[in-house]
Amino acid sequence: MTNVNQPAPAAAEPPSRHGHATRWLAWALACLLALLLGVVHGSTTIPLWSVLTALIHPGRGIVAVIVWQIRLPRIVAAALVGGALATAGASMQALLQNPLADPYIVGASAGAGLGAVAAETVLPGTMLMAPAAFFGALFSVFLAWTLSRGRGRSAMLTLLLAGYALSVMFSAISTFLMLAREQSLSAIFAWEMGGIHGMTWTTVEVAGSIMLAGLILLVPERRHMNALLMGEDVALSVGVPVRRSQGILLLSASLLTAAAVYIGGLIGFVGLVVPHVIRRVVGAEHERLLPITFLAGATFLMLADTVAENLPPLGLLPVGVITAFLGGPYFLYLLADRGRGKRATN
Amino acid sequence: MAAALSLDHVEFRWPGGQAALSGVSGTVSEGTWLAVIGPNGAGKSTLLKVMAGWERPAAGTVRLWDRPLSTYRIRERARAIAVVPQRVGHPYDLTVRTVVSLGRISRHRWWDRVGRLGEEHAQAVESALALTGTRDLSERRMSQLSGGEEKRVLLAMALAQETPILLLDEPTAFLDPGHARDFLERVRLLVRDQAKTVVMAYHDLVTVGLYCDGIWAMDRGRVVLAGPSGSVLNHPELQRLYGLEFMRLTHPRHRRPMLLFP
Repeated sequence: MTNVNQPAPAAAEPPSRHGHATRWLAWALACLLALLLGVVHGSTTIPLWSVLTALIHPGRGIVAVIVWQIRLPRIVAAALVGGALATAGASMQALLQNPLADPYIVGASAGAGLGAVAAETVLPGTMLMAPAAFFGALFSVFLAWTLSRGRGRSAMLTLLLAGYALSVMFSAISTFLMLAREQSLSAIFAWEMGGIHGMTWTTVEVAGSIMLAGLILLVPERRHMNALLMGEDVALSVGVPVRRSQGILLLSASLLTAAAVYIGGLIGFVGLVVPHVIRRVVGAEHERLLPITFLAGATFLMLADTVAENLPPLGLLPVGVITAFLGGPYFLYLLADRGRGKRATN
Repeated sequence: MAAALSLDHVEFRWPGGQAALSGVSGTVSEGTWLAVIGPNGAGKSTLLKVMAGWERPAAGTVRLWDRPLSTYRIRERARAIAVVPQRVGHPYDLTVRTVVSLGRISRHRWWDRVGRLGEEHAQAVESALALTGTRDLSERRMSQLSGGEEKRVLLAMALAQETPILLLDEPTAFLDPGHARDFLERVRLLVRDQAKTVVMAYHDLVTVGLYCDGIWAMDRGRVVLAGPSGSVLNHPELQRLYGLEFMRLTHPRHRRPMLLFP
């Protein structure tokens, strides 16, 4: 495990309570604007005024149907997925004390992939891919966690390594199954790049409830997460029930991730990059970091989804491609910037 | 004086290693400052970890007051024993105030965990910051601190726990003499004014003689000498332990024993 003992670059000075409230409002506003933008833009652009009218008077005319039944479920789903993945990423980074941790790191992605492939192989075309992926992701994390139990001090390292080993194994089985049934390759491939299409309110409600459960689990753990950043021994000595907290964090992150996979397949980069960016802005304190990370992840994915839906020459593009295109270079820029800042201060 | 911590034939072995503690017995009296000395690898840090409950002994028992330490719940133990670790990692950067307020976790009630922290926690954090002279640093981030400042912050975190017992592992390593003395003076006041019980793993024998009430000298996992600091520092066995000859002097002002290398 790359335990980075190098302190992170000096983040902005901690904001006062007043500054923090302003920041909250700003992110909530950004979230709302991204949502409106997503509803306005689509295969045909609906004027903002019509969107607002349709929002206030649901059920009147074709615009209201498009807004309420097609665009809103999709954009809300994007918000939930983005928020859930970013929050799960922040939790995993605290749990494993590893800045490279993302929501999929302990095997969720390969487990979800195997679930989807298995469903498509056994019962092709039955729309069981998403629920199978949900359970595949949970199963894989559960397996990794079971292997790491009772390992005392090396539990988190074992979790990480077991997750890696399971990922490799599950990916190999997925590949084998996909090659054995060539016709399902393109459906699986599109799913693996991640995308939010054909959302219904039922899907959003089911996934949203699971995510809500994951988020509620985090509330009483947020200060324990700060202690875990100082190392397991320090956390233990200030009274954090370390093993239980780690279990709760893992459960919460897995629920958030699996529910996100259920909606949108494997969408990369949100869970890795967003927590890092927000940590630089508001600091590492989880009571501040987690809510803003959720809002920022939601905003980011709504924007990415809107871009994905509106690139005319390419048709429908998986949103995962957009997040990687937007997130990747920005993250590299941050890293390069961090290096420069350090040299300047030394 | 009542025993705060007592050890009875404690054995400990690191996974795959040789015995790190063998047959360690002894008591730490309430309101005293005990130093644990010995060459590198003698088992000082391991002893502190076992006393902190971070590691469970393979055999023997550690008692905290009248009950075995292993029967305490984690939160309950954290209200009795606080630890200032030798060093901490901080992969992500917390502010000093956040770190000090971690010391309050064992005293959080359910409503503190769900909502905003109660006023008593803010007060305890403020007084820990004041006691350690770190109030001016409270909005700084841990990575911006010098070694001495970081040590004082970790002490403040331990003080915010409001425990009767403090365990210090090489608390002044990497500190210059001025900051080391400042730190030790703060601990001395805690023992004198608040009757804290302090156990400190330490290397510098001059300091130990000046500040501590009792000494356990360890060698290869055993406590080979134990007693009041004057008698341990004057014991001929100590020279064999370190493989060195010492000059024995008396501190001109404090009239306490001092060991110097010739």
